[in-house]
Amino acid sequence: MIIPVRCFTCGKVVADKYEEFRRQVRQGADPAEVLDNLGLHRYCCRRMLLAHIDIIDSFMAFATIGAEEAKQSE
Amino acid sequence: MEVTIIYMKDDVCHFLIEGVDVAFANALRRTMLTRVPSMAIDEVLILENTSVMYDEMLAHRLGLIPLVTPLEDYNHPDECDCEGKGCSLCQCTLTLEVEAEGEEKLVYSGDLMSQDPKVVPASDKIPLVKLAPGQRIIIEAYARLGTGRENAKFQPVSTVAYKYVPVVSIDTKACDRCGVCVEICPKKIFRLEGDVLSTQNTLECSLCELCVKECEPNAITIDSKPDSFLFKVESTGALEPTVIIEKALDILKERIRIALDFANLL
Ligand SMILES: [Zn+2]
Ligand SMILES: [Zn+2]
Repeated sequence: MIIPVRCFTCGKVVADKYEEFRRQVRQGADPAEVLDNLGLHRYCCRRMLLAHIDIIDSFMAFATIGAEEAKQSE
Repeated sequence: MEVTIIYMKDDVCHFLIEGVDVAFANALRRTMLTRVPSMAIDEVLILENTSVMYDEMLAHRLGLIPLVTPLEDYNHPDECDCEGKGCSLCQCTLTLEVEAEGEEKLVYSGDLMSQDPKVVPASDKIPLVKLAPGQRIIIEAYARLGTGRENAKFQPVSTVAYKYVPVVSIDTKACDRCGVCVEICPKKIFRLEGDVLSTQNTLECSLCELCVKECEPNAITIDSKPDSFLFKVESTGALEPTVIIEKALDILKERIRIALDFANLL
């Protein structure tokens, strides 16, 4: 759904590094190097970012309650 | 017992501890993991949540945020005068009120407003949920002290590990300077310069013994000191690593005292 707050295995906070990771990888940086620079040295934490797919945006396409309320208030 | 700090930066501390046995090293490790208290959000009151995320999931994410803990200012709820009901001495209230108006909005841990300026998220950039236009969350969260024994979210450390101190020795007479060990070592311990094979950063050695296996003339031996340990402590940001270590030693000492007192009564 959205990037997990912590690494499942070791408990290190990984969520705050995800946006930076995605930004740099999109710009063409080597994911391994980005992860090293972000301080994610263990493979348990690295897979958290590498294997993550953000699907909250797809869910948000079906959000109706908020949209209806917004329409009413207009 | 002798302690040498090898590396210390932000939330990480590597240190060498000499003159203790495995039992003590492991007791210290486990005390840091499960007995050192730190704060985390434990109860969440959801007043409004029109986001696509379930209340439970949101509450779970809030619980996992490490909070900077002023240990002196708070009581453990079990030891508090309020008998665990929750008062200002053992509880801290954080509120989260965000609405996405015109466009999509990411809610961050930094949006949490704390009643106590000392108890704040260790990182402001943890994304909690994404709101579509018009969606809103209003949440009241209660943080309290707890230990890793109760729930892993209260652990002040993400990893604490120790290993034996490696002793790498080369038999210079047997060594034929083939350089296989230089290639095979994943930690780059060996260096071949001209006709001399030397070692560097031996503390990095992970005792994998690949070099021992590959060395044809059996010139390399990897040994470890039985009474020295290399610790790696990585804090979540809730407490400083030095505070975690000191606090863990205090707790361990107190627990040993209680055990000895009990033994003496028998
Ligand atoms: Zn990890
Ligand atoms: Zn209280």
